[in-house]
Amino acid sequence: MSHIASEQDKAAPDRPLGLYVHVPFCASTCDFCAFYQTKPTADGVERFLAGVANEARLVSWARPVTTVFWGGGTPGLLAPRDLGRLADIVRSHCGGAPVEWSVEMAPASVTPQRLAALKAAGVTRISMGVQSFQPALLEGLGRQHTRAQIYRAYEHVRAAGFASVNLDLMFALPGQTETEWADDVREAVRLAPDHISTYCLTFEEDTALWVKLSQGRVKLDPEHEARLYEATWAQLREAGYAQYEVSNFARPGHACLHNLNTWRMHEWVGLGPSGASQYAGWRGANVADLDKWLELLGRGERATEDRVAATPAQLAEDALIFGLRMNEGVNLADWRARCAEAPWAMVDALLARCNAEGLTLVEGDRARLTDRGRLLADSVGAEVMEAFSVQPVVPA
Amino acid sequence: MPLTKYTRNFCIIAHVDHGKTTLSDRILEHTNTVAMRVMTDQHLDSMDLEKERGITIKSHPVTMTYRAKDGHDYKLNLMDTPGHVDFSYEVSRSLAACEGAVLLIDAAQGVEAQTVANAHLAFAQKLKVIPVINKIDLPSANLELCTRQLEDILSIPAEEAILASGKAGIGIEDILEAVVNRVPPPRWATYPQLRCLVFDSLYDSYRGCIAYVRVFSGTIKANDQMMLMSNGQKADVKEVGVFMPKMTKIASLGAGDVGYIVSSIKNTSDVKTGDTITLAARPATEMLPGYKEVRPMVFCGLYPLESDDYEKLKAALGRLRLNDAAFVYSSESSLALGFGFRCGFLGLLHMEIIQERIRREHDVDIISTYPSVIYHVIKHGGEKIDVDNPVNMPDPGTIEEIREPTIRASIILPNDSMGDILALIMEKRGVCEHTDTLDQNRVMLRCVLPLNEILVDFNDRLKSITHGYGSMDYELGDYIASDLVKMDIMINGDPVDAFSCIVHREKADAKGRQLCEKLAKIIPPQMFKVAIQAAIGGKIIARDNVREMRKDVTSKCYGGDISRKRKLLDKQKEGKKKMKQIGKVSIPPDAFIKVLQND
Repeated sequence: MSHIASEQDKAAPDRPLGLYVHVPFCASTCDFCAFYQTKPTADGVERFLAGVANEARLVSWARPVTTVFWGGGTPGLLAPRDLGRLADIVRSHCGGAPVEWSVEMAPASVTPQRLAALKAAGVTRISMGVQSFQPALLEGLGRQHTRAQIYRAYEHVRAAGFASVNLDLMFALPGQTETEWADDVREAVRLAPDHISTYCLTFEEDTALWVKLSQGRVKLDPEHEARLYEATWAQLREAGYAQYEVSNFARPGHACLHNLNTWRMHEWVGLGPSGASQYAGWRGANVADLDKWLELLGRGERATEDRVAATPAQLAEDALIFGLRMNEGVNLADWRARCAEAPWAMVDALLARCNAEGLTLVEGDRARLTDRGRLLADSVGAEVMEAFSVQPVVPA
Repeated sequence: MPLTKYTRNFCIIAHVDHGKTTLSDRILEHTNTVAMRVMTDQHLDSMDLEKERGITIKSHPVTMTYRAKDGHDYKLNLMDTPGHVDFSYEVSRSLAACEGAVLLIDAAQGVEAQTVANAHLAFAQKLKVIPVINKIDLPSANLELCTRQLEDILSIPAEEAILASGKAGIGIEDILEAVVNRVPPPRWATYPQLRCLVFDSLYDSYRGCIAYVRVFSGTIKANDQMMLMSNGQKADVKEVGVFMPKMTKIASLGAGDVGYIVSSIKNTSDVKTGDTITLAARPATEMLPGYKEVRPMVFCGLYPLESDDYEKLKAALGRLRLNDAAFVYSSESSLALGFGFRCGFLGLLHMEIIQERIRREHDVDIISTYPSVIYHVIKHGGEKIDVDNPVNMPDPGTIEEIREPTIRASIILPNDSMGDILALIMEKRGVCEHTDTLDQNRVMLRCVLPLNEILVDFNDRLKSITHGYGSMDYELGDYIASDLVKMDIMINGDPVDAFSCIVHREKADAKGRQLCEKLAKIIPPQMFKVAIQAAIGGKIIARDNVREMRKDVTSKCYGGDISRKRKLLDKQKEGKKKMKQIGKVSIPPDAFIKVLQND
């Protein structure tokens, strides 16, 4: 994974700063999705764009933005003209050209016109939510695109000449066999994207799937999921995609910097309803409601809810929780230096136990999860939280 | 002429389901003791549980008036006795309050284990036994067999048997006439001082302890000062009365009477069954015979399923204890189960009944640990200690010998189950000492078994092997030295107290393996390796591993929303706090309960 670390250091020798924009519009709601989204209306989009402009003005931009990520919702659903307007707003606060600019798109709404607008604005990376190549499974997820649309969209994206292209896939879908999933991965590899994200279906509260789960219409099978994870890792490694996080794989030089920077506990500003920030010593998320977000902005406030101080100890804890999810792991020495008062003795004891049980590997300054440990990243994370919940002894 | 000439005190004894309660009801009806309009089925068994199980737990004496064929009015006191071996001391005290016993035999079932046990108790109290073959209207009634069994097994002349049916009201008059003519008038009536036998007691929240008594000699009335002869405790008599069957106040109780005494004593535990009440001013010099202190024989831990219910459980135990001096409890705490109580019972049925009453009448969900008996442990140097909780077993290195209680059981079973039952007895470390042929189809075994072996499933297996036809009764036997060991169950090396048990050395391996396997299966998959081991004095005899957790990872951690992910993990961490910590292992509290419940 050294290419990722060094590349990031080159890109932001100082302190990288991310900019996330949440574009909350979706044509329909997918059964698995718990992200904030609403139906697009001409008026809604107008007000949203005005809101982003207002919100960006309320941020004190201390340094140039390194990476941009538009997520949603479906940013690719905006009209080409509106994509350009949003890009203008973003660019006016970036202080130069970001090294990476990702935009999420759905296959059904990819058009040469939209792609051209994005390319012209400086977007470098397209992330496309394919999810599956199997029509029956797509339907089961409530997705609105067909297999043919995926291929057409991918051709358009490639033709537009973006530096990096990602395909999102989902596995452990109800009724999906291990063979069907291997076929989906193979099909994605055949298209030769630069980056592949594979997501195990997660049952989030307030989704249609969660309802099915609680009604017993679908069942969880952790053993099956674990096998799918392992098969995926092997299959993608074989195909030349290096894993750099639980669900993310890239060809050399194509890891998503924006995400890496959030997992490394750098700083980012989130704009738009439900956008989350970690910036200038605090973290929090905007209210997940377009109208309320606009209302608060109208009063000249950022619409952040549950804003908390991002203390060094908190950041060290999260650097461990999220860092361990990455294959590069987490640099313990760096964090020890940044936050000497964290309960490192507890952390060391935990890591020693995890090492002994084959869940982690500590080599030099770096701690990372083994393959088995990576499948248990949440449990390890909860243990890290537990270790940090012990109050350090403060000398009187 | 003595006042007692027209008084008869008798009881009805029978095996479960042989129709005792129905017959009692017919007798009450016949003597117009209970007006027809208030007559509900099974008048004497008033507790729900008693009705449901067809057993009597509390005494329900009743005084009736019967005009016999000789033209005289007789005062008949019917004692409804507890009908189970757990309460054999209570039964013996109820019998001691009588001069006669009606022995019921189900015409279709014949003599059963409890029939024999109860008949022997009655003989031991020198009661006149009146055999009654009940349910003769059943198509499957076999009178010839019943009369032969009476003679062969109980040595009662067949011609003494009365044919009856409680259900159809047949033979009721004959039974009443037999009571009048065959049962002798009250004994020991001429003793110079007051002597009342306490055969039961009841707690009343307004009046305190109400003693149920049979007066043998003298008279007692309100404002007397009474004395309990076992300990010399004195109290003021506030009220005396009889059971009609409702408690009815009267001026005084005299020789031969059965009734109740309300005194200044508040707690039932101060008025012990079998004690003799006399007058403080002119005390008797000898107690009535047969008094002994009742000690619990079977122990277990009772814990609330919800720890919030601890106070509720405590209150429930307190209230049950008020009415049941034989039931004892003290608080204890368990690593695995939290705060609860160590409880002592007379026997298995007693334990079951108390647990059931806690659940039903007091609405507390409880879990019980493995039942245990009292072991006598002789240490090197001769010191002897009683151990009723495996946790208190001393270090094996200090023990010279462990002695365990036995029972002498009578088991009646169909011939064709003989092989399987003998195998069961052997499996339970029992010895069969005697075999009697009852009739063409049935035999009676007399055997000695360790009490701790019959605690869990002996009766159930007896019933299942014999397709419900087998029956057992037992009395306590001697303590015998046995090769017993304390087995601990450990999770990653830390013992789980609730699963410690005392077992015979030869059975330890199998039991250890079974427990380890069960726990390993029930404890949910763990992130770290968790070993479940069974150990005797530090030596591991069985082991299993909890399944390792395979997958617990959230796939997508995006949009920079760290807080959202933290909340998820926080939930997980908080969930862990609700678990029982055994060393470093977090185990859901219900895992232990499931293992105990699965038995």
